[in-house]
Amino acid sequence: MLVLSRQINESIMIGDAIEVTIVDIKGDKVRLGIAAPRNVAVHRKEVFLAIQAENKRAAEEADVESLSNLGDLFGAPKSDKPD
Amino acid sequence: MRIRAGELAQTGMTDGSVDSKVSLQTSRFGVLEYREEEVINFPEGLLGFAQSTRFLVMPNPTGGPLMWLQSVEDGKLAFIIADPKLFLPDYRVEVSRQDQEALDLTESDEGKVYTIMVVPPKNPRAMTANLQGPIVINTNKRLGRQVVLTSGEYTINHRVFQD
Repeated sequence: MLVLSRQINESIMIGDAIEVTIVDIKGDKVRLGIAAPRNVAVHRKEVFLAIQAENKRAAEEADVESLSNLGDLFGAPKSDKPD
Repeated sequence: MRIRAGELAQTGMTDGSVDSKVSLQTSRFGVLEYREEEVINFPEGLLGFAQSTRFLVMPNPTGGPLMWLQSVEDGKLAFIIADPKLFLPDYRVEVSRQDQEALDLTESDEGKVYTIMVVPPKNPRAMTANLQGPIVINTNKRLGRQVVLTSGEYTINHRVFQD
């Protein structure tokens, strides 16, 4: 892993399109500003991993049978009632 | 931009004029026939599934309010999805500027929100909804994206039915 030292308001560039700026440092908390192209999704890693894992679980458990066993969980069968 | 779950109109599937159907072999639904214009493009895929970028949104074949997000590139990949209005009328998705841009979403476009569901086959009552990572679809432009909400207000495994 590349390790760089930066001060507040200094940045690093990742490629020529992603800029990460140190916005603030307080105690053990660092605030980062990230400018990235719209096709680059930026997430907190723990959230990213959790949603990734939940997506995998959803795909694995997605079973047609289980939807046949819903019974009346959502009330009466779907109708086009107005909201 | 705020989108209220299910607030905006469903996509009108246009009438069947001269359209060519494509066949897709799936693991769950046998052979599906769809038209190219029904495909929703997810340029970034879903988290953990970046390689699947084209999906169909379809009702459950055996009925009920839950729906499916079926990959047209991988017949084995599908997710159960739901209109969150079904169980959480007050659910709100705050679409960030970056997500709006990625979805090419302007005021004139229709945004539709779905949540990915986990429905345990043996205990559907324990089903959960991923409220923190909903699917937002620009129905006009047929663009979709899994957005990640940062507010901390919602969880990835919200119990739909409280016991």
